[in-house]
Amino acid sequence: MVQGNIPGKELKPVMDTNEFSEKKKPRTGRNTLSREELKKQQEFQQEAVTHINSLYNYALHLTMNPDDAENLVQETYLKAYKFFNSFERGTNCKAWLFKILKNNYINRFRKNSREPGKVDYDLIKDFYHSIKDVRSDTSEAESDYFHSLMHEEVYQALQSLPEEFREVIQLCDIEGFTYEEIANMVESPIGTVRSRLYRGRKLLRAQLETYARKYGFNTDSEE
Amino acid sequence: MNCNKTRVLMSCALDCELSAREEEEFLKHLAECPECAAEFTEAKKTKMIIREKIVRVKAPQSLVESILRLGTHTNPQAEGSLLFDQL
Ligand SMILES: [Zn+2]
Repeated sequence: MVQGNIPGKELKPVMDTNEFSEKKKPRTGRNTLSREELKKQQEFQQEAVTHINSLYNYALHLTMNPDDAENLVQETYLKAYKFFNSFERGTNCKAWLFKILKNNYINRFRKNSREPGKVDYDLIKDFYHSIKDVRSDTSEAESDYFHSLMHEEVYQALQSLPEEFREVIQLCDIEGFTYEEIANMVESPIGTVRSRLYRGRKLLRAQLETYARKYGFNTDSEE
Repeated sequence: MNCNKTRVLMSCALDCELSAREEEEFLKHLAECPECAAEFTEAKKTKMIIREKIVRVKAPQSLVESILRLGTHTNPQAEGSLLFDQL
Protein backbone atom coordinates (compact mmCIF):
# COMPACT_ATOMS: atom_id res chain seq x y z
CA MET A 1 0.00 0.00 0.00
CA VAL A 2 1.15 3.54 0.47
CA GLN A 3 4.71 3.48 1.63
CA GLY A 4 6.07 6.87 0.80
CA ASN A 5 6.98 6.85 -2.83
CA ILE A 6 4.30 9.04 -4.27
CA PRO A 7 5.83 11.72 -6.42
CA GLY A 8 4.86 15.27 -5.74
CA LYS A 9 3.26 14.52 -2.42
CA GLU A 10 4.73 15.53 0.82
CA LEU A 11 4.27 12.76 3.30
CA LYS A 12 3.68 13.58 6.88
CA PRO A 13 4.10 11.44 9.89
CA VAL A 14 0.82 10.39 11.43
CA MET A 15 1.60 12.10 14.71
CA ASP A 16 1.26 15.58 13.31
CA THR A 17 -2.43 15.43 12.61
CA ASN A 18 -3.87 12.32 14.08
CA GLU A 19 -5.81 13.08 17.22
CA PHE A 20 -5.63 9.47 18.38
CA SER A 21 -1.90 9.27 18.13
CA GLU A 22 -0.86 9.75 21.71
CA LYS A 23 -0.49 6.01 22.19
CA LYS A 24 1.74 5.50 19.22
CA LYS A 25 5.45 5.07 19.34
CA PRO A 26 7.70 7.56 17.63
CA ARG A 27 7.89 6.51 14.07
CA THR A 28 10.25 6.36 11.21
CA GLY A 29 9.56 7.06 7.57
CA ARG A 30 8.04 3.64 7.20
CA ASN A 31 4.93 4.66 9.07
CA THR A 32 3.82 7.61 7.06
CA LEU A 33 0.55 8.07 5.28
CA SER A 34 -0.46 9.93 2.19
CA ARG A 35 -2.77 12.86 2.79
CA GLU A 36 -5.52 11.02 1.10
CA GLU A 37 -5.16 8.04 3.34
CA LEU A 38 -4.91 10.26 6.36
CA LYS A 39 -8.10 12.00 5.42
CA LYS A 40 -9.83 8.68 4.93
CA GLN A 41 -8.62 7.51 8.28
CA GLN A 42 -9.87 10.58 10.08
CA GLU A 43 -13.22 10.46 8.40
CA PHE A 44 -13.48 6.78 9.20
CA GLN A 45 -12.83 7.44 12.84
CA GLN A 46 -15.49 10.13 12.98
CA GLU A 47 -18.12 8.32 10.98
CA ALA A 48 -17.54 4.69 11.80
CA VAL A 49 -15.51 4.14 14.91
CA THR A 50 -17.97 6.14 17.02
CA HIS A 51 -20.41 3.22 16.69
CA ILE A 52 -18.07 0.64 18.13
CA ASN A 53 -20.01 0.09 21.35
CA SER A 54 -23.25 -0.52 19.52
CA LEU A 55 -21.56 -2.94 17.17
CA TYR A 56 -19.90 -4.77 19.99
CA ASN A 57 -23.21 -5.20 21.79
CA TYR A 58 -24.90 -6.39 18.66
CA ALA A 59 -22.10 -8.88 18.10
CA LEU A 60 -22.42 -10.10 21.67
CA HIS A 61 -26.11 -10.67 21.22
CA LEU A 62 -25.48 -12.62 18.07
CA THR A 63 -22.59 -14.75 19.25
CA MET A 64 -23.12 -14.92 23.00
CA ASN A 65 -19.39 -15.03 23.38
CA PRO A 66 -17.04 -12.10 24.09
CA ASP A 67 -14.13 -13.48 22.04
CA ASP A 68 -16.28 -14.18 19.03
CA ALA A 69 -17.90 -10.78 19.38
CA GLU A 70 -14.53 -9.10 19.41
CA ASN A 71 -13.41 -10.96 16.30
CA LEU A 72 -16.61 -10.13 14.56
CA VAL A 73 -16.31 -6.44 15.29
CA GLN A 74 -12.67 -6.48 14.26
CA GLU A 75 -13.51 -8.06 10.93
CA THR A 76 -16.39 -5.73 10.40
CA TYR A 77 -14.19 -2.69 10.79
CA LEU A 78 -11.46 -4.13 8.61
CA LYS A 79 -13.94 -4.69 5.87
CA ALA A 80 -15.63 -1.35 6.42
CA TYR A 81 -12.30 0.43 6.20
CA LYS A 82 -11.42 -1.39 3.05
CA PHE A 83 -14.72 -0.47 1.43
CA PHE A 84 -15.10 2.92 3.06
CA ASN A 85 -14.76 4.70 -0.25
CA SER A 86 -17.92 3.00 -1.45
CA PHE A 87 -19.90 4.02 1.61
CA GLU A 88 -22.48 6.52 0.48
CA ARG A 89 -21.77 9.70 2.39
CA GLY A 90 -24.74 11.19 4.16
CA THR A 91 -26.46 7.84 4.68
CA ASN A 92 -26.55 6.11 8.02
CA CYS A 93 -23.09 4.75 8.70
CA LYS A 94 -24.23 2.79 11.73
CA ALA A 95 -26.79 0.93 9.62
CA TRP A 96 -24.13 0.21 7.03
CA LEU A 97 -21.80 -1.22 9.67
CA PHE A 98 -24.54 -3.34 11.17
CA LYS A 99 -25.26 -4.83 7.82
CA ILE A 100 -21.63 -5.73 7.28
CA LEU A 101 -21.45 -7.26 10.73
CA LYS A 102 -24.57 -9.28 10.18
CA ASN A 103 -23.23 -10.65 6.91
CA ASN A 104 -19.93 -11.52 8.52
CA TYR A 105 -21.77 -13.29 11.26
CA ILE A 106 -23.82 -15.35 8.83
CA ASN A 107 -20.78 -16.29 6.81
CA ARG A 108 -18.61 -17.12 9.67
CA PHE A 109 -20.55 -18.33 12.65
CA ARG A 110 -24.04 -19.34 12.01
CA LYS A 111 -23.34 -22.06 9.51
CA ASN A 112 -21.24 -24.07 11.90
CA SER A 113 -21.95 -23.36 15.49
CA ARG A 114 -25.23 -22.31 16.93
CA GLU A 115 -28.40 -23.70 15.46
CA PRO A 116 -30.94 -21.00 14.75
CA GLY A 117 -33.56 -20.67 17.43
CA LYS A 118 -31.72 -22.80 19.92
CA VAL A 119 -30.95 -21.02 23.13
CA ASP A 120 -28.16 -22.00 25.43
CA TYR A 121 -29.38 -20.79 28.79
CA ASP A 122 -26.18 -21.65 30.58
CA LEU A 123 -24.32 -19.50 28.15
CA ILE A 124 -26.66 -16.63 28.85
CA LYS A 125 -26.14 -17.04 32.57
CA ASP A 126 -22.39 -17.09 32.18
CA PHE A 127 -22.54 -14.14 29.91
CA TYR A 128 -24.56 -12.10 32.36
CA HIS A 129 -22.39 -13.21 35.18
CA SER A 130 -19.31 -11.99 33.36
CA ILE A 131 -20.73 -8.54 32.71
CA LYS A 132 -22.59 -8.13 35.97
CA ASP A 133 -20.30 -5.41 37.19
CA VAL A 134 -21.15 -3.02 34.44
CA ARG A 135 -24.89 -3.29 34.57
CA SER A 136 -26.63 -0.09 35.41
CA ASP A 137 -30.14 0.04 36.69
CA THR A 138 -32.23 2.92 35.60
CA SER A 139 -34.84 3.01 38.28
CA GLU A 140 -38.29 3.92 37.18
CA ALA A 141 -40.48 5.28 39.89
CA GLU A 142 -43.41 3.24 38.77
CA SER A 143 -43.59 -0.21 40.29
CA ASP A 144 -45.16 -2.99 38.34
CA TYR A 145 -44.22 -6.46 37.31
CA PHE A 146 -41.83 -5.42 34.60
CA HIS A 147 -39.58 -3.78 37.11
CA SER A 148 -39.26 -6.97 39.09
CA LEU A 149 -37.98 -8.92 36.15
CA MET A 150 -34.33 -9.75 36.14
CA HIS A 151 -32.07 -8.67 33.33
CA GLU A 152 -31.39 -12.32 32.57
CA GLU A 153 -35.06 -13.08 32.31
CA VAL A 154 -35.72 -10.33 29.84
CA TYR A 155 -32.71 -11.43 27.90
CA GLN A 156 -33.85 -15.02 27.86
CA ALA A 157 -37.32 -14.00 26.78
CA LEU A 158 -35.81 -12.08 23.91
CA GLN A 159 -33.48 -14.91 22.98
CA SER A 160 -36.34 -17.39 22.99
CA LEU A 161 -38.04 -15.64 20.09
CA PRO A 162 -37.53 -16.93 16.58
CA GLU A 163 -34.62 -15.09 15.07
CA GLU A 164 -36.62 -13.10 12.53
CA PHE A 165 -38.63 -11.52 15.34
CA ARG A 166 -35.78 -11.09 17.76
CA GLU A 167 -33.70 -9.36 15.17
CA VAL A 168 -36.19 -6.62 14.34
CA ILE A 169 -36.92 -5.99 18.00
CA GLN A 170 -33.23 -5.64 18.72
CA LEU A 171 -32.63 -3.30 15.85
CA CYS A 172 -35.65 -1.21 16.65
CA ASP A 173 -35.83 -1.10 20.44
CA ILE A 174 -32.21 -1.45 21.40
CA GLU A 175 -30.45 0.26 18.52
CA GLY A 176 -33.14 2.72 17.55
CA PHE A 177 -33.06 2.19 13.80
CA THR A 178 -35.98 3.39 11.71
CA TYR A 179 -38.20 0.92 9.89
CA GLU A 180 -36.63 1.92 6.63
CA GLU A 181 -33.14 1.21 7.90
CA ILE A 182 -34.23 -2.10 9.36
CA ALA A 183 -35.96 -3.09 6.13
CA ASN A 184 -32.71 -2.43 4.34
CA MET A 185 -30.69 -4.42 6.84
CA VAL A 186 -32.88 -7.48 6.87
CA GLU A 187 -33.57 -7.18 3.15
CA SER A 188 -37.34 -7.23 3.46
CA PRO A 189 -40.09 -4.72 2.71
CA ILE A 190 -41.13 -2.25 5.38
CA GLY A 191 -44.50 -4.00 5.65
CA THR A 192 -42.69 -7.16 6.70
CA VAL A 193 -40.73 -5.27 9.33
CA ARG A 194 -43.95 -3.82 10.66
CA SER A 195 -45.65 -7.15 10.99
CA ARG A 196 -42.60 -8.88 12.46
CA LEU A 197 -42.37 -6.22 15.11
CA TYR A 198 -46.04 -6.53 15.86
CA ARG A 199 -45.98 -10.30 16.16
CA GLY A 200 -42.59 -10.45 17.82
CA ARG A 201 -43.64 -8.06 20.54
CA LYS A 202 -46.75 -10.07 21.18
CA LEU A 203 -44.71 -13.21 21.65
CA LEU A 204 -42.23 -11.38 23.80
CA ARG A 205 -44.92 -10.04 26.05
CA ALA A 206 -46.36 -13.49 26.55
CA GLN A 207 -42.90 -14.70 27.57
CA LEU A 208 -42.34 -11.82 29.96
CA GLU A 209 -45.68 -12.44 31.56
CA THR A 210 -44.80 -16.02 32.36
CA TYR A 211 -41.75 -14.75 34.22
CA ALA A 212 -43.79 -12.09 35.94
CA ARG A 213 -46.28 -14.65 37.23
CA LYS A 214 -43.42 -16.26 39.05
CA TYR A 215 -43.24 -13.14 41.19
CA GLY A 216 -46.93 -13.35 41.93
CA PHE A 217 -47.98 -10.44 39.79
CA ASN A 218 -51.38 -10.56 38.23
CA THR A 219 -50.57 -9.68 34.67
CA ASP A 220 -54.11 -9.54 33.38
CA SER A 221 -53.59 -5.86 33.23
CA GLU A 222 -55.88 -3.69 35.19
CA GLU A 223 -54.49 -0.26 35.78
CA MET B 1 -60.45 3.30 12.43
CA ASN B 2 -61.54 -0.03 13.87
CA CYS B 3 -59.91 -2.24 16.49
CA ASN B 4 -58.17 -4.51 14.03
CA LYS B 5 -56.51 -1.72 12.15
CA THR B 6 -55.55 -0.09 15.43
CA ARG B 7 -53.85 -3.26 16.67
CA VAL B 8 -51.90 -3.58 13.47
CA LEU B 9 -50.66 -0.02 13.77
CA MET B 10 -49.76 -0.35 17.41
CA SER B 11 -46.11 -1.24 16.87
CA CYS B 12 -45.72 1.62 14.43
CA ALA B 13 -47.29 4.02 16.89
CA LEU B 14 -44.80 2.93 19.53
CA ASP B 15 -41.91 3.62 17.23
CA CYS B 16 -43.20 6.94 15.93
CA GLU B 17 -43.55 5.44 12.48
CA LEU B 18 -47.12 6.53 11.79
CA SER B 19 -47.96 9.17 9.27
CA ALA B 20 -49.55 12.29 10.72
CA ARG B 21 -52.92 11.18 9.47
CA GLU B 22 -52.61 7.63 10.76
CA GLU B 23 -51.57 8.97 14.11
CA GLU B 24 -54.56 11.23 14.37
CA GLU B 25 -56.95 8.37 13.63
CA PHE B 26 -55.05 6.06 15.91
CA LEU B 27 -55.26 8.42 18.87
CA LYS B 28 -58.88 9.08 18.18
CA HIS B 29 -59.63 5.38 18.37
CA LEU B 30 -57.66 4.97 21.59
CA ALA B 31 -59.69 7.74 23.17
CA GLU B 32 -62.87 5.88 22.34
CA CYS B 33 -61.82 2.29 22.96
CA PRO B 34 -60.62 1.21 26.41
CA GLU B 35 -59.49 -2.22 25.17
CA CYS B 36 -57.15 -0.81 22.58
CA ALA B 37 -55.96 1.85 24.99
CA ALA B 38 -55.08 -0.86 27.52
CA GLU B 39 -53.31 -2.88 24.88
CA PHE B 40 -51.31 0.15 23.87
CA THR B 41 -50.22 0.72 27.45
CA GLU B 42 -49.00 -2.87 27.63
CA ALA B 43 -47.22 -2.55 24.32
CA LYS B 44 -45.42 0.55 25.53
CA LYS B 45 -44.26 -1.33 28.60
CA THR B 46 -42.87 -4.12 26.49
CA LYS B 47 -40.76 -1.71 24.55
CA MET B 48 -39.66 0.05 27.69
CA ILE B 49 -38.62 -3.15 29.42
CA ILE B 50 -36.37 -4.09 26.55
CA ARG B 51 -34.72 -0.71 26.54
CA GLU B 52 -34.31 -0.75 30.25
CA LYS B 53 -33.25 -4.29 31.05
CA ILE B 54 -31.04 -5.27 28.22
CA VAL B 55 -27.57 -4.47 29.43
CA ARG B 56 -25.20 -2.48 27.28
CA VAL B 57 -21.51 -3.01 27.65
CA LYS B 58 -18.55 -1.06 26.39
CA ALA B 59 -16.31 -2.51 23.77
CA PRO B 60 -12.98 -3.65 25.28
CA GLN B 61 -10.32 -0.97 25.17
CA SER B 62 -7.91 -3.22 23.32
CA LEU B 63 -10.47 -3.63 20.55
CA VAL B 64 -11.09 0.10 20.31
CA GLU B 65 -7.38 0.77 20.06
CA SER B 66 -6.83 -1.79 17.40
CA ILE B 67 -9.68 -0.34 15.33
CA LEU B 68 -8.27 3.15 15.73
CA ARG B 69 -5.00 1.92 14.26
CA LEU B 70 -6.67 0.82 11.04
CA GLY B 71 -4.99 2.35 8.07
CA THR B 72 -1.87 3.34 9.90
CA HIS B 73 0.07 0.26 8.78
CA THR B 74 0.93 -0.67 12.31
CA ASN B 75 -1.44 -3.59 12.16
CA PRO B 76 -0.39 -5.58 9.11
CA GLN B 77 -1.46 -9.00 10.37
CA ALA B 78 -4.96 -7.83 11.01
CA GLU B 79 -5.32 -6.40 7.55
CA GLY B 80 -3.86 -9.53 6.10
CA SER B 81 -6.45 -11.61 7.84
CA LEU B 82 -9.31 -10.06 5.98
CA LEU B 83 -10.68 -13.14 4.36
CA PHE B 84 -14.30 -12.30 3.89
CA ASP B 85 -14.75 -10.14 0.93
CA GLN B 86 -18.41 -10.15 0.19
CA LEU B 87 -20.25 -7.18 1.61
ZN1 LIG C 1 -60.37 -0.75 19.76
